[in-house]
Amino acid sequence: MKLTLNPMFSSLLRVPPAYFVFAALFVTLWVTKPQLMNVNVMGVFVRQVAPLGILVLGQLLVMRVRSIDLSGAGVLLIVNYMMSSGIMGDIHVLFYIPLALLLGLIVGLVNGYLIGRRRVSAVIATLAVTTILAGIVQFFASGKPPGAMPDFYNDIYNTKIWIFPSPVAFWIVLTVLMSVFLSRFVFGRYVASIGENPTAAHFSGVPVERTVIIAHVMASVIASIAALVQSSSIAVGSIRVGLEMPIDAVAATILGGVVFGRGEGGVWGPFFGVLCFALLFVVMTSFGVPEPGKLIARGLIILLAAILYGMRAAKS
Amino acid sequence: MNSLIKLTNISKSFGNNQAVDDVTLELNSGSVHALMGENGAGKSTLMKILAGVHQPDVGSISRAGEVVSLTSPKLALDFGISTVFQELSLLPNLTIAENMFLGREPKRSFGMIDTKLMESQTKAALAELGLTLNPSTLVSELTIAERQFVEIAHGIKADANIFILDEPTAALNAADVGMLNKHIRRMKDEGKAIVYISHRMDEIFDICDTVTVMKDGQHVATKSLSDMTPDSLIAMMVGRELEDLFPERSDAQGACLLEVKHFKLTSVSQPLSLKVHKGEIVALAGLEGQGQREIVRSLIGQHIPFGGTVRVKDHEISLPVAANNGIRQMSALGLGFVPEDRKDEGLFLNLPIADNITIGLHSTEGGLAPARKYREVIADTIKSMAIKTSSANASVASLSGGNQQKVLLGRYFASDVDLLVIEEPTRGVDIGAKAEIYKLLRQFTENGGGVLVLSRETIELIGLCDRILVIHDQTIVSEMVAADATEHNILDAALSSGSDATGSV
Repeated sequence: MKLTLNPMFSSLLRVPPAYFVFAALFVTLWVTKPQLMNVNVMGVFVRQVAPLGILVLGQLLVMRVRSIDLSGAGVLLIVNYMMSSGIMGDIHVLFYIPLALLLGLIVGLVNGYLIGRRRVSAVIATLAVTTILAGIVQFFASGKPPGAMPDFYNDIYNTKIWIFPSPVAFWIVLTVLMSVFLSRFVFGRYVASIGENPTAAHFSGVPVERTVIIAHVMASVIASIAALVQSSSIAVGSIRVGLEMPIDAVAATILGGVVFGRGEGGVWGPFFGVLCFALLFVVMTSFGVPEPGKLIARGLIILLAAILYGMRAAKS
Repeated sequence: MNSLIKLTNISKSFGNNQAVDDVTLELNSGSVHALMGENGAGKSTLMKILAGVHQPDVGSISRAGEVVSLTSPKLALDFGISTVFQELSLLPNLTIAENMFLGREPKRSFGMIDTKLMESQTKAALAELGLTLNPSTLVSELTIAERQFVEIAHGIKADANIFILDEPTAALNAADVGMLNKHIRRMKDEGKAIVYISHRMDEIFDICDTVTVMKDGQHVATKSLSDMTPDSLIAMMVGRELEDLFPERSDAQGACLLEVKHFKLTSVSQPLSLKVHKGEIVALAGLEGQGQREIVRSLIGQHIPFGGTVRVKDHEISLPVAANNGIRQMSALGLGFVPEDRKDEGLFLNLPIADNITIGLHSTEGGLAPARKYREVIADTIKSMAIKTSSANASVASLSGGNQQKVLLGRYFASDVDLLVIEEPTRGVDIGAKAEIYKLLRQFTENGGGVLVLSRETIELIGLCDRILVIHDQTIVSEMVAADATEHNILDAALSSGSDATGSV
């Protein structure tokens, strides 16, 4: 049995679905709630997805080399706890930044070693790492529960650069950097070749193992940056493990046209994938959909992404 | 002799590739019909049409003037057409009997499988071929030759009258070939029609009556073998004199580029050593599975040999080479490895031609280096190799096999290598592109390069190379100068037990 698609449809499949979903949501909002279409309101909503958007930059990188990273949940949790519990003692608030990056680096090296060198399944390895991190946090939290976030970060989070809230501006800058990194440097060629055919990449002299490890290290460091931004957005820390963010990141990446190995969506496809989540939230809030309904809608978006992934995988 | 089946004006294409072009073939009762041609000439496609695997785009299949439709392998089998394909299609984790009855297992009451019946019938079918294998043996435990025999038993046990044997002897030694031939003669006496595809000339002349030669998908001629000689048959297959296909050899021989010493593939195999000099093309020849592939893959860490040393120019490396960066280590020394399977191991089919060429250059640079576009290198490569494409940004998948192979070779020519190790330089490539690739390889050696090739095509070995090293049982059993080699003495050396044939010819 072979699935045959007509050429028109299959060339449409090559455009990242995020663009269509974004356009549909945008038009819906424009027609039904024109009063919401102003920079301030939109800024508030887009700001909410900035941590997700940053996390996606790492996710798309590992998915381009045919891996996946669900350890973002653990990194988020431990950075969040470190900043809100005061467990580090009386250190300068700025010191949390290098500490978070260091945590990300360590987690990334562990992931990279397990997946790149030991060939452990990426889903299992990164879920296990998240579980271990959650256990570590709970161990410390029993003595020192999380408390308030330092005001310093909350204050930065609420500033604006021109019309953009600072977290959104930061997200855009990081996306531009990632886009340049992948398109203008040899590393991007390595990533593209491994995504297309890891065996051929190996035979043409691409350092496959090293590239996969570096992708995972970068993904976890990026996750720690996302964790800093996310921690800045909340007043009080929490020790609840949430896999929502990494799963949303996977869904946004797929919606953005990046499926395991194939990267037609580049960096901006997933960027719009994240914006879809933001708009979806606005549309539903404006229509008065309650929390459970939002949860179901989010699940449907993830399912849509999974179905699209299946169709694109069957095509190749 | 009466006709059992006739294929009339058959054409079949895959994408842009015209695999079979207006071919007519008639099979008669009591005859063994040889089907010959280079790899990629369309023999296998034609046979797959006869076996119901592919449907022809144009043309018809008929018996005694009546059109028959063979739209599935099952229908072809019911019609009495039985096939042994060259790819081994047995499932290694099932037993011989389970493989033989796959998909048509005899049932007892309650739908239980009648294992006893399966095994007794399998035993009988194997016995007909003179085999005493236990039907409940797992196929994974069989040798390649035994598997080939099971495959043959699988193909010919059915109650058929037309048999297609697609290179059945590729993995068999002389004694096994003799047994198979005895069987084929018996079937012939019973009035069956047999299509026999093989590259071995002596077998063709030994058991076949008629030969049909195909080239580039087209029917060249059908003749009685009693009117032919091996030389006239080769000339017909190649379609031109051999001298036109292969470039002039040069006898310039320079410094040693590659030297393999004290090399042992396994703890029990005989040690071997070989050298490749500047300006020469050296071939490893031999039957399937004698270790030639493992020997070349050991050079780049894709196989772990028992031991040995490799010297590339002035650098001596002891084996094994690290699996994860052996290729990079060797390419830093100027050795490029061109894998056989260009679709799975060589090319990035969905990436542009340009990226497929430049990845070789990029992989020698650090990940943080800016990705240069190498526009001139790409344009030069496409031009000098005559790669037929509308643009360097077209995906490699859109090219023909010959042009894909040129892109793959172009990757190595574009980067700074002077030693190429090539597994099957022209697999699945049409004759025109073959001649061009031969010329490019000769140019490469004339510019100071050296080439080590692995090839299954004897004509290619003789015509392209300077020296031929024949591998048997994981070691070199014979070395010959290609200009003096014949198909016959290469095969002789390849079939030898190794002990008596050591030394040069």
